[in-house]
Amino acid sequence: MSAARAHVGLIDYEAGNVRSIENALDHLGAQVSRVRDAAELEGKTHLLLPGVGAFGHCADKLRATGLVPHLERWAIADERPLLGICVGMQLLADRGEELGDHAGLGFVGGTVRKLASAPPTVRVPHVGWNDVEFAASFGDFAAGERADFYFDHSFAYHDPVHGEVLGTAEHGEKFAAIVRRGKLIAAQFHPEKSQRAGLRFLKAFLGIAPC
Amino acid sequence: MLKKRLVPKLLIKHRLLGCTVRPVLVTTRTFADSIEVGDPVSQAKIYEAQMADELIVLNIDGTPIGGDAMMLDLIARLASETFMPLAVGGGVRAVGDFDTLLASGADKVTVNQAAVADPSLIDEAARRYGAQVVVVSIDYRVVDDRPEVFVDHAAQSTGRGPIEWAREAVARGAGEILLTNADRDGTGQGLDIELARELTDAVAVPVILSGGCGLAAHFGEGFIDGGAEAVAAGTFFSFRDQNPIQTRSHIMNAGVPVRMET
Repeated sequence: MSAARAHVGLIDYEAGNVRSIENALDHLGAQVSRVRDAAELEGKTHLLLPGVGAFGHCADKLRATGLVPHLERWAIADERPLLGICVGMQLLADRGEELGDHAGLGFVGGTVRKLASAPPTVRVPHVGWNDVEFAASFGDFAAGERADFYFDHSFAYHDPVHGEVLGTAEHGEKFAAIVRRGKLIAAQFHPEKSQRAGLRFLKAFLGIAPC
Repeated sequence: MLKKRLVPKLLIKHRLLGCTVRPVLVTTRTFADSIEVGDPVSQAKIYEAQMADELIVLNIDGTPIGGDAMMLDLIARLASETFMPLAVGGGVRAVGDFDTLLASGADKVTVNQAAVADPSLIDEAARRYGAQVVVVSIDYRVVDDRPEVFVDHAAQSTGRGPIEWAREAVARGAGEILLTNADRDGTGQGLDIELARELTDAVAVPVILSGGCGLAAHFGEGFIDGGAEAVAAGTFFSFRDQNPIQTRSHIMNAGVPVRMET
């Protein structure tokens, strides 16, 4: 599928910089609409779940929209394309340890825990450009390829249960930078802020067949 | 491996052109003598093409940014016309301003004077948005051989030491410290490595170092000797026949890990 034919539903639950994501998808020629309730899922080919903020806060806000069962049907039962970004990735875990212990959606499973700080070399938050190694091919990224993406986070994803680690990054310890369960993809970094590599990544997601 | 960051700093002033207020990009020297150097959006696109790792956008007129239509419009334009991280500040007064700026397209928010006046602003912002969004900007001048935190566009001393203030800011939840030597701003004489090292030894969060870059070698000193994760510069990138690509090669040759392709 070409990016130009995709109609992306951007889940709008007031927890993220959706404007930048909209701009990046628009740049790639995709049609983008914000989705606030189940009715607005109609006609979308791809869904995007953003997220900036504390894990528990974002989880509560997303649950409050009533969209969670619909997202589960979309991504798991119907196996349609969904991309989680940053906290939108972390929410797919079983649990997150930011400011207490919080339940995630569990679509991919695993745990989100704090990166260990070890100055002077490893400082947390992990901010800036770090290379991600692809374990398998994705779009025009080849298996084994490394590319730099922009990260800005203190908590990281480990041990997905239902899917695979598609990309690994290292900051003091290795963590899952990209996870995949079928057409459900999630990235810890911000593709919408990662210049050319980020646009390549989004293009790879938009290239996934909608059904 | 995490790369060190080169960060152009866009200093913005308001200028009335006809009936509309437009943003102009300026450079300053010791936080004074501002010189107009062009249009911020055009310059940001050039920096993006030159592989800048991030942009810092600061309103230096002191107007409250939360209600500043010109600044918010500028942020929205920068976010729609470039695909790089934006740290935005200058005139952040309240935690609600974080919401406003993030919604406009900022990725991180820098807070300076308002945090000095009410440090609990840092706790509140970090609790709501996460530490990674909160950049505490510290301007200082050296008075009688002693560094002192200055506010009000580096015109007013607070009497506090930058290290002690940075420690408190980090304890309250700051995710990064932007440390600027106001005496060296725009002079090209080099970064204040001594205080940078003291700060990077004192805190575990990333430090962005600014004020005084005049040569590519100054960036390398900031990373290697100062321990900075990022070096920010305004004047250096605005006037000289220097750009982030050339500076980057120089830094890489000095053995510092930097991003080499987009």
